Amino acid sequence: MQRRQITMEDGRYLIFYTFEDEIVSGKADNAEKVGHEEATTTRLAEPDAKPQAEEERRV
Amino acid sequence: MGEWVATATHRQSRTFLPPADFCPLCPTKPGGFPTEIPEPAYDIVSFENRFPSLQPEPPPPAVEASELYPVRPGSGVCEVVVYSPKHDSTLAREPVEQLYQLVQVWTDRFRELGAHEFVDYVFIFENKGEAIGVTLHHPHGQIYAYPFIPPRVLTELAQSRAHMDQTGRCLLCDILRDERRDGRRIVSENDSFAAYIPFFARYPYEVHISSTRHLQALTDLSDGEQRSLAAMIKTVIVAYDKLFDLSFPYMMVLHQRPVDGGNYDHYHFHVEFYPPLRTATKLKYLAGSETGAGMFINDTLAEEKAAELRALIEPIVWQSVAAGGEEIGTSSSKTTDEEVSGD
Repeated sequence: MQRRQITMEDGRYLIFYTFEDEIVSGKADNAEKVGHEEATTTRLAEPDAKPQAEEERRV
Repeated sequence: MGEWVATATHRQSRTFLPPADFCPLCPTKPGGFPTEIPEPAYDIVSFENRFPSLQPEPPPPAVEASELYPVRPGSGVCEVVVYSPKHDSTLAREPVEQLYQLVQVWTDRFRELGAHEFVDYVFIFENKGEAIGVTLHHPHGQIYAYPFIPPRVLTELAQSRAHMDQTGRCLLCDILRDERRDGRRIVSENDSFAAYIPFFARYPYEVHISSTRHLQALTDLSDGEQRSLAAMIKTVIVAYDKLFDLSFPYMMVLHQRPVDGGNYDHYHFHVEFYPPLRTATKLKYLAGSETGAGMFINDTLAEEKAAELRALIEPIVWQSVAAGGEEIGTSSSKTTDEEVSGD
């Protein structure tokens, strides 16, 4: 599990959690079906303009 | 009355059931509506609520305290945990791997929020469905980091302590042992967790998930137990959705030890679900007795409702490969009266 924390314009923090080598969501519309094979692994896309990163660490 | 109430008048203006095109929890698409999440993709995200009831640096109280009415700033943290970038998904529709990742995120948030000096209790929960009063449909949960131990948990702690003092044993370990021996209220079991409708259920389909090992918090779970917890939560909420063939509304809460530095070895980690439906079309209202007296009246028998859910249990299939290269495979649950009554 990896996490990356950013600070939004109003000062609130937001933490992105990403997971390598494991299925993540957003891929298979019917992933609830047991044994469904369309789920795939994706990576967090690199943003065009990344907000200010306060820290980046591996947990 | 010895209980704190948070006043947060700014929350009156919070976003209420926006159209899908303007969901604040969806990823911000290039050139599109700027959401709370300023990137085009994510797995799981946690962020400070724009409309918090409690804040790390709260403003001074709006009213002065008196001898009769104590007042203090609303210290704490309110986070939103977004489970998935898919607007129309639910936790039950996500693969079990996603729930396993969510358990890891919960654990990280519990650890970090619990380290704040002004936080005594980290409360992780989900309100799902308009019947519960959700204002955003996008799949998400919340975390409240309280500056005190909330009353319901205080009651559990006191009962657990009294039972430990009286018997030398953990209250929930005893409950779990009796439930597994009896079997009638068991919904499902796996390697590390059991789901059951408690003998004292307040809601018709109230389910508790307890760890079979005596532990106090998410941070005590091994990797295998994290996976088992994810599988058991999915098992229960998938069965919920099958009950009436609809996306079943519920409140899900995690009960863990406080983080105030005290010794809570007598306490036992568990998850509780409070679904408001008693039939496909009828709600269990918290009316006079429940709200005014604190006494719940349940129109159903836990044994019958557990049998209904048990009949809907289906096996969990892990689709990914474990970190060590070992395929997880199928995690079966007990699904028949015969199987669960023999323990």
